[in-house]
Amino acid sequence: MASISIPIPLRERAKSGLLGWLATVDHKKIGVMYMVMSFFFFIAAGVMALLIRLQLAAPNLQVVDPNTYNQLFTMHGSVMIFLFTIPMLVGGFGNYFVPLMIGARDVAFPRLNAFSFWITLGAGLVMLLGFLFGARSDAAWTAYVPYSTKSFSPTVGMDIWLIGVILLGIGSTLGAVNFLVTVYSMRAPGMTAWRIPMFVWAMATTAGMVLLATPVLTAALIMLVADRNFNTQFFTTNRVQLWQHMFWFYSHPAVYIMILPAMGIISEIIPVFSRKPLFGLRAVVISTVLIGLLGFTTWVHHMFVSGVDPAIERFFMFTTMVIAVPTGVKVFNWLATLWGGSLNLKTPLLMCIGFLGTFVIGGISGVMQASIPIDQYVHNSYFVVAHFHYVLFGGSVFGIFAALYYWGPKITGRMFDEKLGKLHFWLMLIGFNITFFPMHFLGLQGMPRRIATYDPGRGWEAGNLIATIGAFILAFSVLVFIINVIKLRRGAPAGDDPWEGNTLEWSVASPPPEYNFLEIPTVESDRPLFDARMRTPHV
Amino acid sequence: MAQVSWRNREARATSRAVSAARPQRKDVGLLGVGFFIVSETTFFLGLFLAWFFTRNTSDVWPPAGVAPPPIAPAIFNTVVALLSTVAVFFAERALTRDDRRGLVRGIALAGALGVLFMAVQAAEFTDLATLAQGSAYGSTFTFLLLFHVARVFVGVVLMGVVLVRALLGHFSRKRRLLVQATAMYWYFITGVWLVVFAVLYLIG
Ligand code: HEM
Ligand SMILES: [Cu+2]
Repeated sequence: MASISIPIPLRERAKSGLLGWLATVDHKKIGVMYMVMSFFFFIAAGVMALLIRLQLAAPNLQVVDPNTYNQLFTMHGSVMIFLFTIPMLVGGFGNYFVPLMIGARDVAFPRLNAFSFWITLGAGLVMLLGFLFGARSDAAWTAYVPYSTKSFSPTVGMDIWLIGVILLGIGSTLGAVNFLVTVYSMRAPGMTAWRIPMFVWAMATTAGMVLLATPVLTAALIMLVADRNFNTQFFTTNRVQLWQHMFWFYSHPAVYIMILPAMGIISEIIPVFSRKPLFGLRAVVISTVLIGLLGFTTWVHHMFVSGVDPAIERFFMFTTMVIAVPTGVKVFNWLATLWGGSLNLKTPLLMCIGFLGTFVIGGISGVMQASIPIDQYVHNSYFVVAHFHYVLFGGSVFGIFAALYYWGPKITGRMFDEKLGKLHFWLMLIGFNITFFPMHFLGLQGMPRRIATYDPGRGWEAGNLIATIGAFILAFSVLVFIINVIKLRRGAPAGDDPWEGNTLEWSVASPPPEYNFLEIPTVESDRPLFDARMRTPHV
Repeated sequence: MAQVSWRNREARATSRAVSAARPQRKDVGLLGVGFFIVSETTFFLGLFLAWFFTRNTSDVWPPAGVAPPPIAPAIFNTVVALLSTVAVFFAERALTRDDRRGLVRGIALAGALGVLFMAVQAAEFTDLATLAQGSAYGSTFTFLLLFHVARVFVGVVLMGVVLVRALLGHFSRKRRLLVQATAMYWYFITGVWLVVFAVLYLIG
């Protein structure tokens, strides 16, 4: 097999111990730090979710008071989105695996990479500590004006939240610059566009979206901070729509920022565990890029009851339905890859199948909401909550766990316990559906989202109780995962390539050496490791 | 399990003695600046979005009783910005001929013009603070100026660094990444100014 030798600069021994982590610029260590940080925030936001569900378990409960309730769902949403899903997928898996999958020794700007991480962690801690010490915002993750203005959110908690999100935006914008340059200029020889792994395609598209969306949110956040503290007049009287436009101009693309990397993960795992090439590789790539582009044309579908000009609304209804097409294309590609494959039903593949089932349900409720007349009924109801949990938990979070089971052995050098993995999967799938499926009905029965409690006799009791029970099953499944991680220490050694993977990360040791590749590999197809296996006889 | 030739098992022994932090290609720096400029452009797009949204949803523009700031300093600054861009252009060209004195002169001139630009804006800022607090028009107007001049400040600092390092002889035809990056950023800043000027002062 051809390969190119590039001398590795000898530097002082890589530092070990705590300092080795704090001072590191190694993309893998930074990736692991992102993963650990995000998982910690996942647990924190999960605890908040349990409190929310306890409060709603039955009518007129007083588990938390209404103000605390508002603070809880605000923080739950913000942390899950900004401090768990995005940094886990982009910062964690993106950092660790993009360089490995393209045959590079690191990202293009390793120091900038470390800076992005520390700014993200700092912002997260500011937000969380503010919350723990009572400086809380309660204007939801959407921070709509006028709730978030000085008159309705007079405390400093709102400012802390705003500044936290500004810092997070800066961190992820710089990270996006890094990814784009890395993917553009540091691919192994021979890795032409169609040979770039699907996860890398997804990450590059995601980075492009971050670059074109996040600064608009940053601008809006700064404007709001100024309104609150320096008496500017951006969002006063009659300008509530301005906030909504700027917020959703970012936050609709942000939902794709959260799903595209997960789709990339699925597109990597399904072929490996079906023992088949990805069906319609080019269609998957093109639909990824199309989703990235179309993602910028749909944001007004969050504003169908905000009084936007009906002609404009109809345009956005159309674009929202159009974007379901490339999403559907991908689903059929995954199904066709599975079809007739010799399925290796290990936990990573189960997680992918879980993704497919739940994500499709979320996609269907999405298309329903795309229709203006339907959305005017379900907007701001639990139907929307059901929708976005089906795509975000059922999609992104199943994708995250698929990746953890798939790449965990590469990162740690140890195999997970399959039995516990399967238990985790089934509990999570069942718990998830018990929690969120009833919310469709609650929404259709008129239960608004973001209410602290409700009176009996509206027919909402059963659904809410079931959802709360489901939430605890879900939490228990995460506990099983944590046990599985703790048991990793005694797991079987993974070897370089436990799954017979297709991509370059499986060509190096587990965990990989600090410089990744002693010799930069040359790539001749979209499945370089498959090629190598075909060429070398089995021993 | 199959063996792969580049698997480099023997590498593990030496793994701790080597460093990974090194890009494989040299041209990544300018590309990074390019992508960064894209994100900066998006930021200003956000502010312009706010401007046009507010403008379209107002009956009177600028609002009744709010006087737009005088245009004369802005015209003056447009000339200053264009001149400084020309200076940067010639400084960069001088370096491609290994003409270090040309580089120093051009950057010094451009930096001085940048400082002049900031001074002219600073003189206006007390009026702008009142303007910003009076109306959405004023707030957006001021923010566009403020965030642009913040970039001018960054550009001037970069030029200061370039100037010092040029005097120390750090640059040559082959080593000029920082000079190129600074020039690129400065062109971007001037471009933003032209749009800001056109939108705020000419279109109104
Ligand atoms: C087939 C594709 C999709 C369509 C057509 C779609 C459509 C919609 C629409 C119309 C709404 C607004 C509902 C309302 O507030 O009245 C909405 C909300 C939402 N969607 Fe989707 N969606 C799709 C996929 C996704 C994906 C992939 C994600 C994330 C991974 C996502 C996350 C969200 C979130 C978080 C909200 C609620 C935001 C909030 O108000 O807090 N959606 N979706
Ligand atoms: Cu959306």
